[in-house]
Amino acid sequence: MYSSEQVLRALEKPALYGPDIDLSKYRIEEPDVGEAREVDQVVVNAASRVGLDSSSLAYVQKNEQALATMMTKLLEKYGVVVLPTREALSRESIARELAWRLVDPAKDKYTAFTYLYGGEVGYFIYVPPGVKVPIPIYTCLSIVSNNVVQTSHNIVYVDEGAEAHLVTGCAISHGVKDGIHIGISEFYVARNAKLTFTMLHAWARGLHVRPRTAVKVGEGGEYVNYYVTYSPVASIQTYPVVYLGRNTRAYLASIIASSEEGVYDVGSRAVLEKPGAAVENVSRVVARDVSETYARAEIEALESDTKGHIECLGLLLSTNAVISSIPVITSRKRGALLSHEAAIGLVAEEEIDYLMSRGFTEEEAKSVLVRGFMNIDAPLPPSIKKQVDYILDMVAKYAVG
Amino acid sequence: MTLELVNLRVCVEDREVIKGVSLRVERGEVHVVVGPNGSGKSTLLSAIMGLRKVKVCGGSIIFEGRDITDMPSYERAKLGIALAHQNPPEIKGVRLLDVMNAMAKKYGCSDCTSLTKTLLVDSFLSRNLFVGFSGGEKKRAELFLLMLQNPELALLDEPDSGVDVESIGMLARAIESLRNRGTRIILVTHTGAIMEKLSRINKVHVLIDGRIVYSDSPDVVLPVIFKLGFKKGLEVLVGGV
Repeated sequence: MYSSEQVLRALEKPALYGPDIDLSKYRIEEPDVGEAREVDQVVVNAASRVGLDSSSLAYVQKNEQALATMMTKLLEKYGVVVLPTREALSRESIARELAWRLVDPAKDKYTAFTYLYGGEVGYFIYVPPGVKVPIPIYTCLSIVSNNVVQTSHNIVYVDEGAEAHLVTGCAISHGVKDGIHIGISEFYVARNAKLTFTMLHAWARGLHVRPRTAVKVGEGGEYVNYYVTYSPVASIQTYPVVYLGRNTRAYLASIIASSEEGVYDVGSRAVLEKPGAAVENVSRVVARDVSETYARAEIEALESDTKGHIECLGLLLSTNAVISSIPVITSRKRGALLSHEAAIGLVAEEEIDYLMSRGFTEEEAKSVLVRGFMNIDAPLPPSIKKQVDYILDMVAKYAVG
Repeated sequence: MTLELVNLRVCVEDREVIKGVSLRVERGEVHVVVGPNGSGKSTLLSAIMGLRKVKVCGGSIIFEGRDITDMPSYERAKLGIALAHQNPPEIKGVRLLDVMNAMAKKYGCSDCTSLTKTLLVDSFLSRNLFVGFSGGEKKRAELFLLMLQNPELALLDEPDSGVDVESIGMLARAIESLRNRGTRIILVTHTGAIMEKLSRINKVHVLIDGRIVYSDSPDVVLPVIFKLGFKKGLEVLVGGV
C-alpha cells in the first residue's frame, strides 16, 4: 500500500523525461460512470480520426465520463468482462487486487494526480482462462472540452491460456485546443496467455499527454504493443515498461509522426526477468517542421538465456526537426543476447527522383517512401493489421504535409 | 508524333556530359545508342526523362510538338515518357506490389496480371522494391513498371546488363510488344546482347564523349563496332574502309 503522504508529496514530483506540466492550470470534471446505448456524436467524430467505427466500441470515455456500451453484452457471451474501472473496483475483487500494483501512484505528479483526483475512470477488462476472444475489443478515449485534465485508469487481465486483442483510440474532438490526458494502464498477461494492444492516437496542438503503462507477462505469455501517434501535440511523454517472465515474448512497436512544435518523448522499456524471455523493441519516427522527438528504447536482462533487440529508425522531413534516438541495453547476467541498431536520415533524393519518373509528384513520392518506412512486420491479427494500415496511410499523408 | 532532341547539352554537377546531341525518333521506331563506359548514354536518357540529378544546360527536348525541356519528370511520365533505370534504387518497406497498385490507379491497368506473368515478376511482387533482387529480377521489374505506364516513349537503359540468357529473351519479347503497339524506343546498351533478339532496329547511334559521332542502320554499324571496338570501328565506319 502507498501512504497518502507519499502520494501527496509526489504531486510536486516532475517526471524524469519530457516537459514539466503545471496541472493546476487545468480543471478536472466530476467523474461520471454509466452505460451508453448510443455513442455521442462528438465521440463518433473523434473516433473516426483514428479509424475506429463507433458501433464496435465497448468502452467510451468522454473527458471524465466513463461509459460501457452495448458491445459489452456481446463480449459477455465469451465471458469477457468490460466495465468502467470505478465500477469494477466496487464489484470485482480481482480489480481491487490488481489496481495500482504495477504502476506506483507516487511515481510522479501525473500518477499521483490520477490516484488522488482521478475518480478511477478508465476501463477494466477481464478475459477468463482459455478464452480466445474472436473479435477485437475496442475502446475510445476522447477529450471534448478545452482546458481539462482527462485521467484514465485502465486495468486488463488476460487469464491463463486466453487471448485478446485490444484496440484503444485516443482522439481529440474538433475545436479542442488544449488540455492534458493522463492514462494509467496496468496490464496482466497470465501464463500462456496472449494480449495484443494497439493504440491509435490523434491529439491536438495544445494537448499534453502523459501515459503511464506497465505490463506483466507470465510464463509462456506473449504481449504485442503497437503504438501509433500522429497529428500535432504540445507534448507526449511515455515510457511503458514490460516485465517478461519465463519463456515469454514481447513485440513493442512505436510509430511516431512528429510535427509542428511538438515534443515527442516516446519509447518503451522491457525487463527480461526470467530465462527464455525475448523482446523486440522497434520504433519508426518521421519528423517534420520544428518538432523534437526523443525515441527511447531500453532492454534490461536480469537473467541468462534471454534475448532482446532494439531497432530505432528516424526519418527527417525537415532540416529544423530533431530526432534523438536513445537505445539502451543492459545485461546483468552472462548469456543474455542483446543488440541494438539506430539510424536517422533524410528521405533519399534518389528514391524520390525514381518515383517521380514513375509519375508520382514529389509529395506523392515522399508519401510512398514514408509509408514504406513505417511498415513493420508486427504480429497483429489480420483485422487489426488492416486497420493499422489504414491509419498508417493517413499518417504517411499527414507526415509529408 | 515525334521525340526530337535539338542540340541538347546536359550537365551533371556543372560538368557537361552531353555536348550537343540532336536526334529524332518517330512513332514505332527503335533507336539504339551504343558507346563506351562514361560516354553519356545514361545521362542522355535521364535528361529526356527529366531526372533531377541531371540538368539541361543547352538545347531543347521536344515531345509531340511540345517543348518539355523544363518539365518535371512526373509530368513527362503523364505525357507517356517512361524510363527503365539501369540501377534503380533499393527502397526498403515499399513493395513492388505497392508501387504496382499505385501506378495501376494512375494509369489504369487492364492487363496487369498477364504482364506479371509475361515478365515473371509475380513471384517477387511482395518483396521490397529491388532489395536483394538478382540482376534479372531487377531488369524484369523495371520493364514491368515501365510497361504499366503504357508509354508513348520508352527509354531503356541497359536492359541487358547483368542478365542471364533466359531473362534477355523475356525482356526482348516485352520490348517487341511495346514496339508493336507503336511505342517509340530508345535503347541504350553496352554489350549489345539484347539487339540480337530484336527483330527490327531502325537506327544505331554511336555516342562518344557526349556526342553522337555516327548513326546508321544496325547492319552497317553493329558488325564493325562489335568486331573492332568503338575506336577502330569508328575509324572504319567514318573512313568508309
